[in-house]
Amino acid sequence: TSSVLSKDKDKSAVSKDSSPEGAAKRQEDGAETPKQKLLDVIGGMKVEVSYRKKLQQLKASENKKQAMNKLEGPDSEGSVPQGITERGKPLNPELVKAASAVASSLPRDKKQTESELLAQLRRHEETTDKQKKGRTINIRNVISEMTIKRQSPAQRGVRISGRISLQLDEDGQRIRRERSSAQSMDSRSLKVGKRLNIFTKASTEPEHALKTVSSPTIWDLEFAKEVAAVTAQPPRNGFEEMIQWTKEGILWEFPIDNEVGMEDDAEFHEHIFLDKHLEGFPKEGPIRHFMELVICGLSKNPYLSVKQKVEHIEWFQNYFEEKKELLQEI
Amino acid sequence: MAVAALCWALRAARQVLPSPCPGQVRSYYVDWRMLRDVKRRKIAYEYADERLRINAIRKNSILPKELQEVADKEIAALPRDSCPVRIRNRCVLTSRPRGVKRRWRLSRIVLRHFADHAQMSGIQRAMW
Repeated sequence: TSSVLSKDKDKSAVSKDSSPEGAAKRQEDGAETPKQKLLDVIGGMKVEVSYRKKLQQLKASENKKQAMNKLEGPDSEGSVPQGITERGKPLNPELVKAASAVASSLPRDKKQTESELLAQLRRHEETTDKQKKGRTINIRNVISEMTIKRQSPAQRGVRISGRISLQLDEDGQRIRRERSSAQSMDSRSLKVGKRLNIFTKASTEPEHALKTVSSPTIWDLEFAKEVAAVTAQPPRNGFEEMIQWTKEGILWEFPIDNEVGMEDDAEFHEHIFLDKHLEGFPKEGPIRHFMELVICGLSKNPYLSVKQKVEHIEWFQNYFEEKKELLQEI
Repeated sequence: MAVAALCWALRAARQVLPSPCPGQVRSYYVDWRMLRDVKRRKIAYEYADERLRINAIRKNSILPKELQEVADKEIAALPRDSCPVRIRNRCVLTSRPRGVKRRWRLSRIVLRHFADHAQMSGIQRAMW
């Protein structure tokens, strides 16, 4: 459904939400249920400096609730991919209800707050749609405009939510909230302004793609070799000479490790008890006798790996199978 | 056949050292006898396992004699250069077949030359 989709978009666009908007939104979402539940929900939450995570969590829980409550199961799934083209103008009736509930719960001008909240919702959905299309910079401007112009209802919302939380939360959290609210209201320059797009993923990905295509040219390799040859100065002293030799592999690494290059992960019992590989052979007769001797010799051999020993036995198996006709004549 | 040998010789001849080291850079084997010795070593390495296993069947008192005769014929059918007996430890620098000290893989003349110029680590003129 559009609401589910908008909520999903909200999650991604949350990073661009300014704090007062986030606070107002939280109020709407919390107030969908009666006021008691609103207070419980807000009181149950811990006050964080960043409202974004909060909003995400709330939206996630909201999504779950709405998904459960929605009777139009198949329709919602079908409309999700189509919802990309849907505009946010016909707001979800549930959101409208939420806005009216919030407005009714607030002590001040109910109709004005309700209209303002709905207007903010609409704008929010517009911004999420724009972000979906990929025009991030415009949304930035839009949000910056919104924060500058529409300060009063947002501020009011923040104060009210602060009041509600102040009644229920502990002292430590109250102090944190005040500090964070002061920060967000006074230093507007933090979140307002054009983004430089230095660290966005979308701009760096095509560069990587180009690099991987053009790297393995012969001329690049030759250039790299030349650079390495030029920069590799002759060693100034014996230590540097020894370092160079160690890198090349001429000199061993000290302290000497006897097991360098030898990665035998097999346990000792795999080396010694090789009877299980003898299953393909006849149980009696000279061949069995011969193979038991072979196994005895292999178990005493510390130089071969388990794989080599198994190959040895398998070779004998193949050999004797080829000579089966000859053996049966005897 | 001749073409194959020629290709092999060319490949062997292209033994250029990658790093620029001071001293002699040898891009060829010293002579054809040395090259043949190199070939024999390679083929002997490839067939070493098989030879070992077939010989294990041959030098056996448990298995029936018919099987051992068959193994005899099989090992005779392997390429002649695969037997390790044909390898000769030649001098690495001069390809001299006789008078080669095993530890240094050098003939006595070359060894004496380098030792006198103090280019062999740990070798000293004996005096007692």
